[in-house]
Amino acid sequence: MILGDLLGTPVHDDDGVRLGRVADARFVVDGAPHRLMADARLLGLVVSPHSWSSFMGYERNSLTQPWPLPQLLRWRHRGSFFVMWEDIAVLGDRSVRLRRGYTAYSPALDGSGQE
Amino acid sequence: MKTPRPLGSVPLAPVPPVAGQTLDAQLHLLDRQVLDSGGVPVTTVDDLELGAPEGEPETPMGTVIPPGTPAPVLTALLTGPVLGTRIFGGRPPSSRLIRIPWTDVASVGVVVQLGVSGQGLDADWVERWVRDKIIARIPGGRRDPR
Repeated sequence: MILGDLLGTPVHDDDGVRLGRVADARFVVDGAPHRLMADARLLGLVVSPHSWSSFMGYERNSLTQPWPLPQLLRWRHRGSFFVMWEDIAVLGDRSVRLRRGYTAYSPALDGSGQE
Repeated sequence: MKTPRPLGSVPLAPVPPVAGQTLDAQLHLLDRQVLDSGGVPVTTVDDLELGAPEGEPETPMGTVIPPGTPAPVLTALLTGPVLGTRIFGGRPPSSRLIRIPWTDVASVGVVVQLGVSGQGLDADWVERWVRDKIIARIPGGRRDPR
């Protein structure tokens, strides 16, 4: 699977309601260890209802400068959410479907990764 | 019909904490410069390839993923001739993309650092070809300027 095929794909819930598009994929480096780095497993997807393109991730960090870029970009990505891999039911070429009762998390990075 | 997410006005819970470094593909990996173990630029990350973890069955595509299926992992950084597809859309065929195995990646920061020398990678074959076939034939071209 090539990630570029997944980015921008429409995301629907179990009832077929469109929730947005895949804006990003989040990985966590905690998989099987190797000589240099451990495996980076797919933690989940960032879904954005308005725009799937992301510019420097202002909507996922706490930066406020340079005004007004962060404010504008956060507004552009309003309603974005993060969904865990466990809540993904179908990964298709044209659509991603979430499981019934999926949990929407904040897409913000927690600071333990890179910001 | 585009329907807004019903939880729009509700503050969302943070993602449960995880033990390892978190990497958002677009923020931390795509378009980052790749340096080899000697700090020499190799290429940039144009795309990423995912696959099932070692010893696990392939992640089903287009069909329902059984609960408990292990999440796919990054298997390779991809690079290749993507200028045209960046402008006009789509992507080159998978066979045209050059793969740098994830197991060769040493760290991810401002740049992606490899733990191997770039000399053995296919990613910078054009640069090596230009060096060996063109630059080397210019008088003085074989002399290391350092």
